Amino acid sequence: MVRAVAILSLAVVMSEVTCANSAGVKGDFEYGQYLAAECVTCHSTVGLDKGIPAIIGWEEASFISVINAYKSKELENPAMQTIAGRLDDEQIASLALYFASLPEEN
Amino acid sequence: MTKLNRRQFSTLLGSTVAAGALSMPNITGAASHGAKPKVVVIGGGAGGATAARYIAKDSKGAVEVILIEPTKRYYTCFFSNLYLGGFRDYDSIGHGYDALANNHGINVVHDWAASVDSSNKSVTLASGASISYDKLVLSPGIDMKYDSVPGYSVEAQTKMPHGWKSGTQVQIIKHRIASMREGGTFVMVPPPNPFRCPPGPYERTSMIAHYLTKHNPTAKIIVLDTKPKFSKQGLFQDGWERHYAGMIDWIAPDVHGGIKNVNAATMEIETDLDTFKADAACIIPAQKAGAIAALAGVTDGDWVPVMPASMATKADPNIHVLGDASIAKSMPKSGFSANSQAKVVANAIRGELTDSKVFDARFANTCWSLISENDGIKVGASYKAGAEKIDVVDKFISKNGEDEATRKATYEESEGWYAGITADMFS
Ligand SMILES: Cc1cc2nc3c(=O)[nH]c(=O)nc-3n(C[C@H](O)[C@H](O)[C@H](O)COP(=O)(O)OP(=O)(O)OC[C@H]3O[C@@H](n4cnc5c(N)ncnc54)[C@H](O)[C@@H]3O)c2cc1C
Ligand code: HEC
Repeated sequence: MVRAVAILSLAVVMSEVTCANSAGVKGDFEYGQYLAAECVTCHSTVGLDKGIPAIIGWEEASFISVINAYKSKELENPAMQTIAGRLDDEQIASLALYFASLPEEN
Repeated sequence: MTKLNRRQFSTLLGSTVAAGALSMPNITGAASHGAKPKVVVIGGGAGGATAARYIAKDSKGAVEVILIEPTKRYYTCFFSNLYLGGFRDYDSIGHGYDALANNHGINVVHDWAASVDSSNKSVTLASGASISYDKLVLSPGIDMKYDSVPGYSVEAQTKMPHGWKSGTQVQIIKHRIASMREGGTFVMVPPPNPFRCPPGPYERTSMIAHYLTKHNPTAKIIVLDTKPKFSKQGLFQDGWERHYAGMIDWIAPDVHGGIKNVNAATMEIETDLDTFKADAACIIPAQKAGAIAALAGVTDGDWVPVMPASMATKADPNIHVLGDASIAKSMPKSGFSANSQAKVVANAIRGELTDSKVFDARFANTCWSLISENDGIKVGASYKAGAEKIDVVDKFISKNGEDEATRKATYEESEGWYAGITADMFS
């Protein structure tokens, strides 16, 4: 039951992502690197996954949809909701571009 | 709307993690004509180590960075309470400076900065050497105002440690708690606002209670506060009731009437209400910016006023002050805040010295506290630079009545954060 509802919610998220993509917002690597400094106080840059998940080497589209899900409060963590809440499409795309470029070392 | 946790979400999304594509950062605008511009950073703590690292890293060698820090190993105040509670050993909260030198070419000088000559833009070290700068960054943390507590002094602090700068003092507290007589009394005096780490005294109270519950369950903790209310009060007091019922007595200043005297020889803490005889005590006095800030002539009263967008001081645009020493209202004095401010400082300085792009200043903070095993709480916010102060954009706080899984996840987040921030300072 939970799953069915969840899939429904996911469909909404996915259609939002499609919109963002068709709007053609492009990320800027250097901006992404700057913005990422805020993230790496919590998230490891070498893929350590202890208490806070690793976020490097993701496919950009997935990264964007997850951040949007925190932004829309569909995903629950209040710390991440606060962080994602003020990111606009360009900033999210830039972060996705930057984190996708970090090699997974372990 | 139905809420998902991230595991459900990832499963639905299918395989989220793709192979990481390596791409080279493209840093533009690093001008290098003639001698390199020089930045001197005083203080290798949460603010200073991060600032030095980011200026060196992001300028790709175009800026010479010198970090002045007397100690060879930095023991974090953050998680020092977890050491008191038995959740961490002392070694695990110590960090060295080798990687800053080896990975980022930072010139780490283990010495005290003794004075700053802002008109000649130079710093004199305790050893007598002098170093010139184009930009000076001060993140010296706090100094104690010993006379804010009648009877307290540098001499008294060995018997009644504050333990508010980590180091030996915290180890003394641990030793004192362990050697308390059965059913003895621990007295804690938290400082008045503003001070380093607003939830810190209450997390410490929780961790000491945790230790005593296990090793000396009839012992008592008396908290003689100098403030009528404190950070995350409802959350802490709910936790104390659930885990340590009857052990902790928090007494507000209107009830005890103020700290009239502390006597390290007799271990007595005198108030209007009563004179409390302690078997072990922790006295945390009022605080001010680390002394070098006043010597540099940038303080106004106890702290340093700064411009929110760059953390440059109002007194001197070539001196930036961050972390606990600065007036960074609305941000609390925390390691997370200092680390966040360091990135704003690094961005501004790198931009100015290398003529490269300066991005919008943005800040964040989260303070986790551990109440008992797997019972973590947090408070946090995002911020932006306003004209006169750092303004809150959005904020959050844990709630009473959260389920055990949430509290455990919150504690585990703090472990992840500790690994993240210390890597962000020292790797
Ligand atoms: C018990 C406790 C628990 C805490 N828990 C947390 C927590 O969970 N999360 C959190 O975010 N924050 C926490 N904090 C707060 C955090 O430790 C501080 O806010 C943070 O360290 C401030 O960083 P800073 O750079 O301003 O100062 P510091 O980290 O103290 O660094 C200052 C450095 O400057 C050096 N220095 C000073 N004067 C000179 C000089 N003249 N020359 C050269 N070097 C000098 C010192 O040796 C020191 O290494 C806690 C604090 C305490 C006391
Ligand atoms: C205060 C600490 C903190 C900061 C700062 C932070 N995050 Fe997070 N992040 C978390 C936590 C905790 C989670 C796990 C939340 C959950 O369980 O849903 C998370 C989850 C994520 C996820 C999902 C990971 C997964 O495996 O599901 C992504 C993507 C992410 N963060 C990106 C970012 C980005 C980008 C930034 C910077 C703009 C950032 N985070 C800043 C704490 C933080």
